[in-house]
Amino acid sequence: MNKNKTHRLREVNCPTGLNWSNLKAELKAVWEASIKDWKIEFAYPVSFIRQLISPLIFLMPFLLYGLALIGGRYSENLAELVGNGDMVAFIFTGYIMMGFIGTAVWAMGFSIRRERWFGTLEAIYVTPSSRLGQVLGMALHSTVYQILGTIIQFIVIYFTFGLALKIEGILPAMAIFALMMLALYGFGIVISALGLILKEGWVVSDSLYSIMSILSPVAYPLAVLPTVAQQASYLFPTAPALDGMRSFLIENYQPEVVGNVFLYLIGLGIAWILFGIVVFRLTDVYVRKRGMLTKF
Amino acid sequence: MEGAYQQSVLRSNLSVVWNEIVKNNKTLLAYPAILIFWAVFPIFWFIPFILQGEALVGGLQSANFAQITGSGEYIPFIVIGAVLNSYVNTLLYGMGENIRREAYQGTLDYVLAAPCNKAYVLIGKAISESVSSTIFAASQLTISVLLFGMNITLGVMLPVFFITVLLMLGLYGMSLMLAAFSLMYKQSYDLSQTIGYVFYIFAPVRYPTESLPGWAQIFGKLIPLTYALIIIRSFMLLGTDFSAVYTEVIALIIIDAILLLAGFYIFSWMEEKTKKSGTISHH
Amino acid sequence: MVTDKEEVFSIQTIDLTKRFAKKKHRGIFGFLRRNQANNKHNGVTVALDKLNLSIRPGELFGLLGPNGSGKTTTIKCLSTILIPDEGTAIVNGFDTQKETAMVRASLGMVVGGERTLYWKLTARDNLTYFASLYKMQRSHAKKRIEELLETLQLADRADERLEDYSTGMRQKVAIARALLHDPPILLLDEPTLGLDPGFARQIRNQIKELSEKQGKTVLLTTHYMDEADQLCDRVAFINNGKIVAVDTPNRLKARVKEKEVVEITVYSPPADIEQYIRFLLPDAEVVKLIPGDEDEGDASRIKIIGGTPEQHIGTIIDALRQKKIRIGNLNVGVPTLEDVFIKLTGTKLTEGKT
Repeated sequence: MNKNKTHRLREVNCPTGLNWSNLKAELKAVWEASIKDWKIEFAYPVSFIRQLISPLIFLMPFLLYGLALIGGRYSENLAELVGNGDMVAFIFTGYIMMGFIGTAVWAMGFSIRRERWFGTLEAIYVTPSSRLGQVLGMALHSTVYQILGTIIQFIVIYFTFGLALKIEGILPAMAIFALMMLALYGFGIVISALGLILKEGWVVSDSLYSIMSILSPVAYPLAVLPTVAQQASYLFPTAPALDGMRSFLIENYQPEVVGNVFLYLIGLGIAWILFGIVVFRLTDVYVRKRGMLTKF
Repeated sequence: MEGAYQQSVLRSNLSVVWNEIVKNNKTLLAYPAILIFWAVFPIFWFIPFILQGEALVGGLQSANFAQITGSGEYIPFIVIGAVLNSYVNTLLYGMGENIRREAYQGTLDYVLAAPCNKAYVLIGKAISESVSSTIFAASQLTISVLLFGMNITLGVMLPVFFITVLLMLGLYGMSLMLAAFSLMYKQSYDLSQTIGYVFYIFAPVRYPTESLPGWAQIFGKLIPLTYALIIIRSFMLLGTDFSAVYTEVIALIIIDAILLLAGFYIFSWMEEKTKKSGTISHH
Repeated sequence: MVTDKEEVFSIQTIDLTKRFAKKKHRGIFGFLRRNQANNKHNGVTVALDKLNLSIRPGELFGLLGPNGSGKTTTIKCLSTILIPDEGTAIVNGFDTQKETAMVRASLGMVVGGERTLYWKLTARDNLTYFASLYKMQRSHAKKRIEELLETLQLADRADERLEDYSTGMRQKVAIARALLHDPPILLLDEPTLGLDPGFARQIRNQIKELSEKQGKTVLLTTHYMDEADQLCDRVAFINNGKIVAVDTPNRLKARVKEKEVVEITVYSPPADIEQYIRFLLPDAEVVKLIPGDEDEGDASRIKIIGGTPEQHIGTIIDALRQKKIRIGNLNVGVPTLEDVFIKLTGTKLTEGKT
C-alpha cells in the first residue's frame, strides 16, 4: 500500500511548535487544569478544610516538643550553631518548606496517577496539549493551596508564640523561595513520571518526602547531620533555600547568605527542570509502548 | 446441597473470621513494596525530632524532660511515641480503608448480602489489621533499638505487649465507628485523618502532656493512646511496674469498654441506614 | 500529489503490529512456587498482526470482532495512546508516530465512555476544560459548547454534576467532548455498550448524522452485529489481530447464501452435539453450538451454515429426538453478520479472549 495516498480531509487549525500562539495555548491548558483541580477540591469540602489546616497541625508538635525539651523558646545550643537561639522563628521558617516539598512529591507526583484513577488519563492523552500541562496545573493548584496554609500558620503562630522576623528580608526571601520552587517543580515532574510506571507510586512519594525532609534543615541546622548527608542535601533546593531565607529573615543568622545562593538555585532549578522533562518524555514513550496508561 | 450447610454456627463464624484474615493477608502480600515500606519507613518520620533534639539541647539528655517525666532521655521517649503512634495509625485507618476498598472494588455488596453475621467479617478484618500492624511495629522497634541503642528486655516487653493489646481493644471500637462512617459518608478518609490529628497534638506522642496548656491536657485524657504511652514509657524508661500506673491502666480499660460498645452499636445502626438508602456501593 | 485517479484515505494502517509480553504476577512468595518457568514471561500476545486497513473520507466504517481480537488496540494505535512495534498508521495525512499533536487535533474519540469524565464537575466544566486541551480559543469554545449541549439535549442540566446524570447522559457528554473541536475523524470504541435501548438508538442516530450530513469519517468498533449492519458503509472483521474480511454488510452477508443457514434452539445439549451433527451433515461448512444460560431462560443454539442443511431438516430433528435432546425452535434463515463471522473464523462475535 502506498501511504502517500492518504488524504488530508480538512486542514486542522492547531498551534504546534515553538511559537507564541502555541505557548499561549499550552499556558491556558495549564491554567484550566489548575481551575479543574480547584473545582474538584471544592466538591470535597471536608477534605479542603482539613488540608488547609494540616500544615499547622504538623508544625505544632515541632514547636511543642522544642518547648518541652528546653523549657522555653530560647536554645543556647541553637544560638551557638546558627547565631540565633530563637527556636520558634527557626522552626517556623523551616516548616514552611514542608508544604512545598509536598507540592513536588505528593501533588505533582500524584497528578498523573490521579487522572488514571479518575479514568480520564487516556482522554487527556489524546488531546494535542502537552501532558506536562496536567502536572504543572496541579503544581499551580498546590502552590496556591500551600500559600494559603502558610498564611494560616503565620497568623496562628504569630498570635500564639510571637514571631521576630526582619521585615526588610521578606522580598529577598520571596525571591529565594521562587527560585526554590523552580527546582522543586522539576523534581515533581520526575516523580509524576515515576508514578506512571510504578504500581505503588505513593510508596515512592512518601519515601522521597521523608528523605527530603530529613535532608532539609527544617527543624535543625544542617550541622547536626553527618557530613555525607550535608553534602547530599545540596542536591535538593530546600537546604540552600532555607539557609538563604533564614539569613534574610532572622537576626544574626549564620551562615550568612552570599550572592551565589541565587545563582546556585537558578542553576539547580534549570538542571532539575531539564532532567524532569527528559525523564517525563522517556516515561511517556515507555508507557505508550507497553500500553500501561490504564493500568493501576 | 443440604449437607453443605450442616456445620455448627460457631464453626461457620470462625470460618468467616479465618477466611477474612487469609484474604486480607494474601492481598497485602501481593504488594511487597508496601510491606517493606510500613516495616521500615515510619522511622524516617521521627528522625527529624531526634535531630531537632540534638540541635536544641546539644546532647542526649534534656533537663526539662527529666523534670517533667522523670527521665531526660528524649530519644527513647520519641521512639516509643512514634512506634506506638504508627501502630495506632495503621490499625485505625486500616479498617475504614479496608471497607472503602471493598466498596471501590465492588465486593462490598456481596459481603453484606451474605448470610453470615457481619460482626465476624469485621472481627476478621480487625485481626488481620492487628497482625500486620503488630509486625510492622515490631520491625520499626527492632530497627530503632539497633539504630539508637535502646535497652529492651523480655521482662519489659511482656507488660508492654499486654498494654498494647488493651490499647488495641479501644482502637477496635474507634475503627468500627470509622468503618460505619465510611459506609455512609464517602469522605471517611478525611474523618480518619482528623482523628489522627487530634491524637497527634493531644496525646504525648512527641512531648509529655504536662507541657501542654490545661485545656489541651483534658483532651488528652480522653484518648486511649495517652494512657498507653504513659504506662509503656513508665515501664521502659523508668523501670516501674503495674503498681505505679494502676490508675492509668484502669482508665484505659474504662475508655476501651466505652469505645467498643459505642463502635458496635454505631456500626450496626449505620449498616441498616445505608441498606435502606442504597448507598453502600457508591464511592 | 494526489491525482484524480488515485484513491484517498482518511485513515490507513500499513502492516501495523503490536505485541504485549505476558507476565504472571506471583506475589511476594512467587519464587518459592514450583515450576519456576511460570514466573518468567509466559510468551507474547500478538494483539495486532500486520494489520492493513484503509478508510475513505466520509465513510462510516465498522470494525467487528470478539473480545481480544484487536479492536481497542487498533483504536489506541490510531489515537497515539499506544505506540506500535512495527508498521505505520496515518490519520488525516499525519503519521501517528511522528506528528502526534496533529493526529490528536484531527481526531475525536469516544473510548471508555462515562468513566473518562470528571464526575465531580458539571457537563459544562468538563467540556470547558477539554476545550482548553484541544487548544480552542475561549470565545469559540464557549459558543461550540453551547451548540453541542443544545444538539445533544443536555442544555437543561449542563450545570449539574455528572455524578447525578444517568449513564446515557454521561455518554452524550463523552460524545460532545469528541466533537468539541469539530474534528474530521471520529474514533468510537463500543459507544453504545451498557446503554438502554432508547439511548443506544439516539446515539446511533447521532453517529449516522455525523457521517452522512457532516461528512466525518467514523471508525466504529463494536461486537453488536446489528449496530454494524444498520450503520456502517463498510465493515471489517478482525480476529486475532488480523483483518479477515472487508466489504459492505450486504456483500459480506451474500457470502453466506440465504438458504444455507439453519438455527436450532435446544435444551441441555450433550458435549458432543457438534461432532454428532457434523457426522450427519458432512457437507456443512460450519456447525457451531452457541451455549445459552438456561437458568435465565436462554436456550442453547446450534447454527449450521453451508451444505444445504434445510434439505436435511427432517434427518436432523429425528436424530436429535433419538438422542432425547429437547428442541425449542427451528429457523431457516436470513444470514446475519455473525453468521458470516462464524463461517470465516469459526468463532462467535461474543466469544474471544478477555
